[in-house]
Order: sequence, then structure tokens, then C-alpha cells
Amino acid sequence: MNLPSVYYMLVAVFAPVVCGVATLFISKRDINRRVLVAVAGPVVSFFCVLLHLRYYGIGVAAEPTNAIPWIPTLHLNIAFLTDGLGVFFALLVAGIGTLIVLYARAYFGKDEAALFRFYPTLGFFTSAMMGIVLADYMLLTVLFWEMTSISSFLLIGWDRDDKKAVKLAMQAFFTTGMGGLAMFGGVLLFGETTGVWRWSTLLETAGELQVNSSMIGGFILIFAGAAAKSAQWPFHYWLPGAMAAPTPVSAYLHSATMVKAGVFLIGRMYPAFSELAAWPPLVISFGAVTMLLGALLAINQHDLKRIFAYTTVSQLGLLVCMYGLGANSFAGGTPAIDWDITQIANHAFYKAPLFLIAGAIGHVAGTRELPRLFGFYDPNDFQKKAMVIVMLLAGYALAGGPGTVSFPAKEMFFYAVYHSFETHWIFKIIALMAIATAVCNVAIFVRLVTTFFGSKKYGLQATETEVHADDGHGGHGHEHEHETGLWAWMLWVPAAIIVALQYVGGLIPPIWNAVFSHFETNSNYEAFAHGVPWVWEPFFHPSIPLLMSAIAIGCGIALGLSKYMRDSVVDAHDRIYPSAYWLAVQGGFKAFHILQTGHIRHYLIIVFTAMLIGFAGAIYLDPTLVEIPVGLDPFEFWPGVLLGVIICATALLLPMVKERVVRVLVLGSCGFSVVGMYLIYQAPDLALTQLMFEIISVILFVLVLRLLPKPDMKPPPSQAVRALIGICVGVSIGWMTLLAGHHAENKPEAEKLGAFFKEHSHHGTEMTHHRGGEGKNIVNVILVDFRGFDTLGEISVLGIAALGVWSLLSGRRALHRKYEEEEATEGGT
Amino acid sequence: MRVTSVILRTAVRLILPLSLLFAIYAALKGHNAPGGGFIAGLIAAVSLCIYRMSHGSTALMKLMPVHPRWLVGSGLGLAATTAIAPLFFGAPLLQSNAWILHLGNEELHVVTAMAFDTGVLLVVIGVSVGMIQRLSEELER
Repeated sequence: MNLPSVYYMLVAVFAPVVCGVATLFISKRDINRRVLVAVAGPVVSFFCVLLHLRYYGIGVAAEPTNAIPWIPTLHLNIAFLTDGLGVFFALLVAGIGTLIVLYARAYFGKDEAALFRFYPTLGFFTSAMMGIVLADYMLLTVLFWEMTSISSFLLIGWDRDDKKAVKLAMQAFFTTGMGGLAMFGGVLLFGETTGVWRWSTLLETAGELQVNSSMIGGFILIFAGAAAKSAQWPFHYWLPGAMAAPTPVSAYLHSATMVKAGVFLIGRMYPAFSELAAWPPLVISFGAVTMLLGALLAINQHDLKRIFAYTTVSQLGLLVCMYGLGANSFAGGTPAIDWDITQIANHAFYKAPLFLIAGAIGHVAGTRELPRLFGFYDPNDFQKKAMVIVMLLAGYALAGGPGTVSFPAKEMFFYAVYHSFETHWIFKIIALMAIATAVCNVAIFVRLVTTFFGSKKYGLQATETEVHADDGHGGHGHEHEHETGLWAWMLWVPAAIIVALQYVGGLIPPIWNAVFSHFETNSNYEAFAHGVPWVWEPFFHPSIPLLMSAIAIGCGIALGLSKYMRDSVVDAHDRIYPSAYWLAVQGGFKAFHILQTGHIRHYLIIVFTAMLIGFAGAIYLDPTLVEIPVGLDPFEFWPGVLLGVIICATALLLPMVKERVVRVLVLGSCGFSVVGMYLIYQAPDLALTQLMFEIISVILFVLVLRLLPKPDMKPPPSQAVRALIGICVGVSIGWMTLLAGHHAENKPEAEKLGAFFKEHSHHGTEMTHHRGGEGKNIVNVILVDFRGFDTLGEISVLGIAALGVWSLLSGRRALHRKYEEEEATEGGT
Repeated sequence: MRVTSVILRTAVRLILPLSLLFAIYAALKGHNAPGGGFIAGLIAAVSLCIYRMSHGSTALMKLMPVHPRWLVGSGLGLAATTAIAPLFFGAPLLQSNAWILHLGNEELHVVTAMAFDTGVLLVVIGVSVGMIQRLSEELER
């Protein structure tokens, strides 16, 4: 009996977070059981995806799982797209997640508090990431996307006492969060324009979409989101900054999975958008620049984690560039892209081990600075030996040496670049950039080898001062005794398992191809029709790309052994976020000082001037507004005129009297005249309300006035300007009221607002969905029914104001007591 | 702010129950005739303020069954509950419903908006009385 496919995916997505949270309920001391529960999450996810594959096979793009309705009106339902790309990523996330849980146990040791917090957060991230790669509704992807930003923020700022780490966490969060917002906007724009809200629909209708500017805008915004997440230039600065996180996090989020979310998204869009004219220039240029810049920065670093962070940036650039090149074509007319999922897997399978071992070495040696690890290889110490060997095996894959999957993967990329030569001359430059990138990667590998084995001639060596300086990279913010036995092995065993996949693929390609041919959708060049070739095959078919690889390896070895590029440099882009932050804070201060003067008259001037400008604009658009309406009889109703004159007279008197209490009384008499006005126009409700309200407000005013300090009798400056603004505001508001009243009066009876309420206040009709207040008092029905939401807001405001009075006054009393005490003590001395 | 006029004190003793009664009348009648929670709240608040002027703050606080801030809280809670309740029956926010009770020969119209209006009433009384009470306490200190 097969369950509907959506349930497999639901379990796969939510198992990690459920298991992560479940660890909270296990006794803090029972570490092994906690690890067991935490590891169950990704394992369950992994097998759920496999079971889904077993029963349903790899979904064709157009066939997502059935949908569970969530918010259909917002085009947001729960459905999953299990095509090759999505399923591969899901297996990658769950698989590496399993190993990371084990590694984290070894890394944090028996630190109960750290693991207590770590597993739920990691589970949250794993679930969010599974969601991104499997979601079918674009908005669901956006939702999970933001969740990965949040969990990444929590994990980078893991060490809450480290101010620098917290800052870097904010930097990463703001950068990827801004990208996420851009992507959200892009999805909305795209969806509104085309009506496509699901990835499956997008892939299905690829090529049939109407190209217009809004759609291109949507695409560019989505690309910006993907670029920020995948650390493309100029947003790449957050990724090396994110290395403040504990190593399990760096290995998992910031190399193998989360940063690939952007690449994943570009891969999702590739089939549909690669036809766009904007695709190649945008995707290729950002990808290529990032690729070269990351490689150049990587070789100029000393901290192992920073080296690998920048190579990650570089490799992400390469992956993005690869999808960009897919818009070009091979000689046969097929798109110039091959085995893209192998490329992605290749990077994950060597970069995660590199990070894991970098953390393990930092753990054992107390430093991650390469020069201080000079001669770290110790043939007598099994742990150190194992770590160095695993790291160098992964480093060899980083260098793209033959025998790993990395070698054919780089070949495939070179083929795509080489076959694009005919399209445009710029691709020759990109080929040079790709070679330079490969040179740097090889050189890094050479440096690792020479330094770890302690080659006095070629290795990086720390100077006397550096050896004794504390670089602060030692552990991970806390000290604990080192593990022994099984958990000590877990520092390098997960890395060894992952890196083994590289060599399985490189040395016995049929196994790799058998697995990956299910996921791959882009297999275009005839030489790669069967996937990764045997290790010797490229050498029997000499070609330009092979020559490019040879040049890269040769030059890379030379560069690695040379004395060039051995310093640790600071990336100029690291200043982008601090400067932007500084500008925002300073700008905020400036704006605050200009706008928030603390004088109510300034605020009123701003508000009223804005209103006057709006009114002037309205008159400019419709000059008839200032014409005196026809049929206006000013002396229609004498008592009204009389009361109006009294109201105007009291209002005019208000600014002339100086004494505050008199002002309140004048204001009160103005209000009471309004009560009279309501009465003669037969609005008893309003009259009663106004009357009571006037009484209460006069009492309140008098009370408050007695609490205020003595008024400053000096006439405030710029009285003429204020008088002018006052007159203009008074006249224009009066005029607008007149116009509104007059127009309402001249409408046909049926269209009047009064008629509407008369008809609907009791029972309601079709028009109000049979909604009425069931009452005969229109004013009351409006208050509690038609405008009930307003009333609810108003009474909330009232309640908050009262709370403010209570709490502020008690603070004032405490302040008074303090002053009195101070005065008393001063008087005493 | 305490007026110690015997005439006022005596008059207020009569006025207060009458005006509170009138407030209740206005609140109950409000749906079909002039009145309603807001007005009723203001009427009650004004009469309570006058009582406070003549008899002083302690007498008012003795008269009030609970502190005004409880009135504000419970009023807001009642109004919000009435507003949200229709959502649980698949109706839009603030949808009001009416029942007609037959009491002998009389018909009694009960509307859910009544509860909402009562919330408004409580908030208005609580805020006005509470603020005036608190401010004058500050002055009399």
C-alpha cells in the first residue's frame, strides 16, 4: 500500500526538526541517547526520499506530488517537486546532515550545554534546507529560504559572548536576508505577471512564456536572491565572515548545502530562463568574476577555514558560471552544459571533508593558521596521521587531480567554455580566468602538502613572533577535555566517508554513473554521454580542454612551490557591510536630529505642510475644485449660521488668549457650540457624545495643565510663518469640508451614504452579504458592526493611553522622591 | 480638586445612581435608539468624576468594585473575544448575530454586538475614571 507521495516528502522535510526538538526532552547528561535521537532525523529523511524513489521513481518535471491546500488564495500550498535536481539535493542534505551530527558530538565533546542548543538548531536548518530543495510552490521555497537565513544566523553567532561572531552573524543575516527579500519580490512580480506560481508549471511551460519587462525584472530579482545566498561577487564577503561559526556548521551550511541553495535555484530556473537574453551576461559574468576573485583570495590566506571559505566562493562562482554557459551551445547545437549535478556533488564531496578536517586540526593542534601547522604530520600519532591523509586526499580533489571526480568535472567545465569560443571573444578571457582559478586550487594543494610534511624549502613557516602569538582561532570558544576512543575517531571518519565518494567516482566511474544518471537531466556532449569517463580515457583523446588542465596543474605546482602569494591579505570587500551599517546608523542619527526635535509645533508644521501640498496638487489636477459650487445658499438655515459664527469666533479667540486655563475654557465653549450644532441638525447621539466628551476633556485638560511646568511666555520664533500655515490649513480644510458636504447633498438619494446605512443597518442585503447590525440606530450599528474594527482599534488606543498615564506617572513619582532625597542629603551636608 | 459644598455632596448622592441608571439604559437601548456603549461609558464616567469631586478619591475607590485598570483589561478582552469569535464559526471578523427571545408576550432582541458594546463601555469608564483619578492623585500628593 503506497501512501500518497506528498506524505513521504512531508516526513522527509520535517523529520530533522522534530527529532532535533525531541532532543530537548532528553536528560542533559544522557548524551549518547541525544545523539541517537538527533541522528535519527536526517537518517529518516534520507530513507524517506529513497523510499519515495523506490515507489515513484524520479518525478518528471511536470509531475509534482499531490498538493495539500494551505493558503490557496495566496498561491501557497504544500506540494513537492521530486525531479532529479531536487531529490539529489535532498539526499545530499540528509546524508551529510547525518555525518555532521556525529562529527558535532566529537567536536563539542561532552559539553552538555553546547550540544543541548546545537541539535535543535541544526535540525531546524536541515528541515528548512530540505524544504527549499523539494518545494514545488515558489512561495514555499521562499518561506524555507528565509528559515535557512535565520538558522544560519543562529549558528554563525553560536558563541554568544563573542561580539565579533555576533556581528558577523548579523552581516550574513542581512546580506542573505536582503537577497531573500529581493527573491520574494521577484517571485511575486513573476507570478503576478505570468500566473506561474509553481516550479513544475514553470518547467512545463518553459519557452512558451511571454517575455516582457516585468517578467525579466522578476527573474533579475530572483537571481539577486540566489546570488546573495550563494556568495556571488560583490556579496561574497559574508561567507568568509560566516567562518566564525563552529566547524560542523561551516562544513554543513557554508560549504556543502546552504550556500548551494543559490546554485540550486539557478539550476531550477535554468531550463525555463536560459533562453532569455539577460541570462548569459548576468549569470556568466557574476559567476566568472566570483570564481577568479575567490581563488585569488583563497591562496592569499593563512587560516585553513578562510582558505576553504574563499575556495568555496570560487567554486560557487564556477557552478553559477556553468549554468550561464548552458545558454551557449556545443557544435551539435545542444546546450553547452553537462552533468551539472555531478559538478555540484563533486564540490560537496571534497569541500565538506576539508572543512571537517580543518576543524579537527584546530581542535587537536589549537590553531588553524597554516604556518603554525608546519610539520603537523606525525607518523607516530595515528590521529594526526589520519587527519592529514584525509585532508590531503580531499585537497587533491580540490586541485582537480586525475583519479577523482573533480578531474572530469573540471574537464566538462573547460569543454563548455571552449565550445563557447565561437559565440563571443569574451569566452577566451573566461577560459583564462578558469585556468587561473584552477592554478590557484592546485597551488593551495601544493602548499598544504609542503607545509604539513614540513618541507623547510617550500612549506609555509611561522616566524618566531607568530608561533607565540595567540591567534584566537584555537578552539571554539570553550575548553573541554579531548575525547578518546570512538568519538575521537569521529573527528575524521565522517570526512573520510565523504571523500571516499570522490575516489569511488574517479576510479570506478560505472558506479558513479549508475547512480547519477538517474538525477542528471543535462547530458549533451557526446563524449560525456555515458557520464564520468574512466580515468585514462581523456589521455587517449588529447584535446584543448585537456591541455588547459595540464597547464593549470603545471602552473599550479610552480606557483605553490614559488615564494609568491604567501601572505595573508584582507579582502577589501569586507568593508562593504561595516560601511553600509555605519552609513545607516549615521544617517539614522542625522534624520532623527532633523525630524525629531521634540517640539510639537515642528511636527504639526510638517504634517500640515504635507497636507497643503497634497491639496495644492489636487487643485492643479482639477481646477474646478476652487470654483464656488452652484446652488450654494449660505443663509439656508439661520440658527446654523449663528452657531457657526460662534464656533468660528471661539476658534479664532483660541490663539489670542495667553493663559492656559482660559484657553481650555475657550476650547470647551467651542465644543459646546458644536453640541448645539448637532442638536439643531437632529443628531442626538452625536450631541450626547460630544457633550460628555467635552466635560471629560475639560476636566482632563485642567488636571494636566496643573502638572505642566510654567509656560514660557516668550513668543516663539517664526510666528508669521506659523500664522500663515495656520490660516492656509484652516481655510483649505473648511473648503474641503464644504465641497464634500455639498457634493454629498447633491447626489441622487439612492447613492447617498445615509441611504445605504438606512437600508443595511437592520438586516443587510445581497450587497453586504446579508450582513447587518440587526439594529435601528444607524450610528451605533456603524460603530459596532460596519466600522467595528475601527472601534476595536480605538478602544485599544484608549487602553494603551491609560496604561501610559499610569506607568509614566509612577515613574515621575519615583524621580521626584529621588530628587527630594538628594536635596535632603545636600541640605544635610 | 475636592469641593466641599454640602449642597453638591447631597445632590450628587441622588444624581449618581440616577445617572448610572441612565447610562445602563443608554447602553441597553443603544442598538435601536440614541445611545450605545461609548455614550453610556462617557455618561457613567462623568457622573463618577462628579462624585469624586464632591466625596474625594477614597470614596470613589471604595465605590468602584475593582480598580479601573481591570475595567480596561476586561473590556478590551471582551471586545476582542466578540470580534474574533465569529471566525470560529466560519463567519468574517466582527460578524454579529441576533436571537429573538420570546418572554411571554414580549420579544427580546439579543444581539452579539451587545457584548462588543459592553466591552467598549467598560474601556471608556476605565480609561476616563482611571486617568482622572491618577492625575488628580498626582496633584493632591
